[in-house]
Amino acid sequence: MSFEHVFSLTVSGVTVGMIYALIALGYTMVYGVLQLINFAHGEVFTVGGYIAASTLIWIGVDASTPLWVKLGYFALALVVSVVVTATLGWLIERVAYRPLRGRSRIIPLLSAIGVSIFLQNLLIVIFGPEPIIMPTAIVPAGFVNVFGARVRILQIIVIAVSLLLMALLTWIVKGTRIGKAMRATSQDREAAEMMGIETNRTISFTFVIGSALAAIGGFIVAMYYGSLQFDTGFLYGLKAFTAAVLGGIGNIPGAVVGSLILGLAENWGVGLTLGLLAWLFVVGLALGLYIQMVHAPRRRIDHIADEFRTPEYEGRLKAVYRLAPVVAVKTLLSERTDALVHVSARHAVQLMAGNLVLFAFAVVFFMNGDVQFSSKWQHVISFAVLMAILMFRPSGILGENIQEKV
Amino acid sequence: MAEVVLDVRSITKTFGGLKAVNDLSFVVREGEIVSLIGPNGSGKTTTFNLITGLYEPDSGDVLLKDESIAGLKPGQIYERGISRTFQMLRLFSNMSILDNVLVGMHGRTRANVIDCMLHTPRMRREEAESVARAKEILGLFPGRFPASRHSQPALSLSYANRRRLEIARALAGEPALLLLDEPVAGMNPAESLEVMRQIRDLRDMGYTILMIEHDMNVIMGASDRVIAMDHGEKIAEGAPQEVANDPAVVEAYLGKRGADTAS
Repeated sequence: MSFEHVFSLTVSGVTVGMIYALIALGYTMVYGVLQLINFAHGEVFTVGGYIAASTLIWIGVDASTPLWVKLGYFALALVVSVVVTATLGWLIERVAYRPLRGRSRIIPLLSAIGVSIFLQNLLIVIFGPEPIIMPTAIVPAGFVNVFGARVRILQIIVIAVSLLLMALLTWIVKGTRIGKAMRATSQDREAAEMMGIETNRTISFTFVIGSALAAIGGFIVAMYYGSLQFDTGFLYGLKAFTAAVLGGIGNIPGAVVGSLILGLAENWGVGLTLGLLAWLFVVGLALGLYIQMVHAPRRRIDHIADEFRTPEYEGRLKAVYRLAPVVAVKTLLSERTDALVHVSARHAVQLMAGNLVLFAFAVVFFMNGDVQFSSKWQHVISFAVLMAILMFRPSGILGENIQEKV
Repeated sequence: MAEVVLDVRSITKTFGGLKAVNDLSFVVREGEIVSLIGPNGSGKTTTFNLITGLYEPDSGDVLLKDESIAGLKPGQIYERGISRTFQMLRLFSNMSILDNVLVGMHGRTRANVIDCMLHTPRMRREEAESVARAKEILGLFPGRFPASRHSQPALSLSYANRRRLEIARALAGEPALLLLDEPVAGMNPAESLEVMRQIRDLRDMGYTILMIEHDMNVIMGASDRVIAMDHGEKIAEGAPQEVANDPAVVEAYLGKRGADTAS
């Protein structure tokens, strides 16, 4: 298990994470403005990849095509795929969601599943059930050496392009007029409408942007894995949706963070031996101990009312968070005399239990240091990560973008 | 007599069998503060919703400066110059204070998606002007929105300041008519007094205001004219003192027996 191996797994994880992020952003933005889970989004992504690949097949690229012509074809395929897919996204909202707006939330959800099935079948009808093969001549094939690890040039391109797109999206949402309209629409559509914002146009714009990102994601996947199938989007859509929930649905930076965690979990989970994975638990344990010993008591002490604030009382509060669980357990078992101390003791016991679990995992993993998860476990691992994180933070890592109605 | 800004001509709105607003007519003239009063359920907020386009009247017409606006979409009416605040606050609470006001200007700025993408000079100039104007509007509430708070989310404001911010957002539309739905609801007496003075200041600056209010001190202290409603109909109109002593109004609030005892 060399450093190079870990590094290249990390690069793969980040690459896959970026692809998930391109799709997850569409889920999360649509959820933000409509509180609708657009289950057809995975198929929109597949369509994007199919259009790009079939454009290139139709043009007919081969190894003898000069580089600059290839770049031109590449750009053409990208533009065609983005335009067609964005139009498709716009059309889906127009036909399948807008007429149902204002109904109970389950109805547009069913409509979304219907659109998803329709698009899969449309792909079979047009392109047949066999996978579409990306012309290999167009895919950047080289490798570079980074810290002794071989990294595909394509991976570097994917990461760079995704980061660029995310920066662009952030700027659109934060810095432009249409972004302001998007944020206002997602918080209170009716009030936004009353301020002269054309909410229908804003919602359409959101679908167009989300679909364009998904199209680029589809193109990237077709290049990265060399082929696409009519149902590829199902699993990718599901993973990206998971990532969006992991980061906090409706939250744009959350979608990126969730996607990266999922991508890394999938790659590290099956690529590393348990001995190395154990270090993640060690890091988690260090963080947990920091929270228990330093962060949590400091927060509690801030809550002491001024008239009770004595060094002795502060010491009592700190003591329940100490490593020796005796004080905390004793406080819990004895009669409840002081609310703050009692609540702190319960909190401390919970934190200790969490840290113990982390410790136990680390020990078990270290003891079986040479074992490695079979790659069949990949999806299980990613969903285990999802469950573990949502158990502690039900609204996702960066929190759901909740409209606080005042 | 000053120019008529809003002319409501016998509008009617029914929900099922209930006549929420029945054959209601009134005018609001430029530079005056008109208060709409009446017991709960008398149709005041429905009237507001009819004027601002959330509802379409079943019959009758609403004219803004001699132009019919009945049946237009809320956004269109807003752009023609009627902005409002809400009884239940409806700020964009996760957006910054400044952004809330800027959203109020959305209809006035013309830059389109392409301009935004390309960051054209036109768009940048417009943006700079909007920000300057938004800051000016926030400055109308001295001490409430210092520059250091402009980038904080609206939800960090106190309740009274949120109400002020909603007024600021409504002003951003450069309205010919400002509708305030219970501007001092939930405020303590000192705060309502301050808001009352601010509403009068706004009138002195040239704004025309139609408001719904329950607080008698504010109604007496701020309005030039009062319209009382009950069961969707206008039951009295005139100077504040006159309307407050009108037997029909007293009866609407206290009931027939209560009114008899009072007189």
